[in-house]
Amino acid sequence: MERGRILDVIGTLARLGLAAVWLVSGAVKAADPDQTYIAVRAYDVLPSDVVPVVATVLPWLELALGVLLLVGLGTRAVAVLSALVLVVFVAGVVQAWARGLSIDCGCFGGGGQVAPDATAYGTEVLRDVGFLLLAGWLIVRPRTLFALDGRLESRPQVRSGERN
Amino acid sequence: MGGASRSEKQRRQAANQRLAAAGITPKQSGPSGGTRIALIVVAAVVVVAGVIGYFVIHNRQSTTPNYAVAANGTVVTAGKTDAPVTVDVYEDYLCPVCERFESRYADDVTAALNDGKIKVNYHSTAILDSLTTPPGYSTLAANAALCAVPAGIWPAYHKALYDQQPAERSAGLTAQQLVDIGTEAGATSPDWASCVTGNGNAAAITAATKAAIANPALLTNGQFGTPTILVDGKKIDLNDSKWLSNAIADK
Repeated sequence: MERGRILDVIGTLARLGLAAVWLVSGAVKAADPDQTYIAVRAYDVLPSDVVPVVATVLPWLELALGVLLLVGLGTRAVAVLSALVLVVFVAGVVQAWARGLSIDCGCFGGGGQVAPDATAYGTEVLRDVGFLLLAGWLIVRPRTLFALDGRLESRPQVRSGERN
Repeated sequence: MGGASRSEKQRRQAANQRLAAAGITPKQSGPSGGTRIALIVVAAVVVVAGVIGYFVIHNRQSTTPNYAVAANGTVVTAGKTDAPVTVDVYEDYLCPVCERFESRYADDVTAALNDGKIKVNYHSTAILDSLTTPPGYSTLAANAALCAVPAGIWPAYHKALYDQQPAERSAGLTAQQLVDIGTEAGATSPDWASCVTGNGNAAAITAATKAAIANPALLTNGQFGTPTILVDGKKIDLNDSKWLSNAIADK
């Protein structure tokens, strides 16, 4: 297998992996809006008027990012958006950690206050950094297999008889 | 990685050269059609998220309470006594889901109370006393809420207790802070401060909490929790966002 092909496969795994992350986290949050609200509020960052807005929009934004990555549409742009969202998540967890709050990140459901010895800030940040690496790969090299992007771009080339 | 994108570039250049050899000039300006479609889709997602957020924020117009309030033991009854629908709310002022219930439905409940469509019995329960350091914020806040009835500020104070709800496992609010919140809400009676700091309803609140925990009609999966909401004596599912409009429509 040539090198480009291997990189395509790695990129494809990154894309589908990040898609799975967003689809699962978005679905769990969308299924329990009250819990999502409590998780967002527990970060104690946003004004009380904005908490319900973020709690309402966030699950669907995550699902949209997941679907776009799954079909591979606008991979680089979606990866940039994903990275931005993940950076905000990391910032939220780190500020909670630094301020000595005892909350669960609510990354995949749950969230809200937990016992001080039940926090897992380090793991949560590390996990988000892992997801950031996936997004980073796709920003640098968005070319993947089975992506609508490739299909949309390669159409004129195929028609011009590249396979002659 | 850089090598890969270079080789892709070379591949595309080669393809373009072949196109040129065939007499076809590939379009070079701007993103290709496919990339443009993809970017439009992604932009649409961002715009839709923004629009939803905008409407969520602007659908929250607050309704001014103008209903009557009366205390009977540890129960505060809001609205007309002869209202066709009776709602019972069992709440703990430290409980995050109670805050969620309040923030989500307070406007609808206030409107229904103002219109005389429902009356609401607010049952002061305190099941989370052990979750503050020092313990006992739930009872202290429930007591203060009962003091707010004779002080004439109950609707505003009830809302303020949730707006300024402390986190579980925090220190809670002190009696003095609870006094100050009421003073800000307009409590002027000389008894207000001593009623809050005296915590005179504590024993009655504890008894009411025990009674609630022992009442089978209030249990969810065999356990009592807050908030527990009854409509005409029947417990409702908190996931049913139409519980109030359904309750009113049935009459």
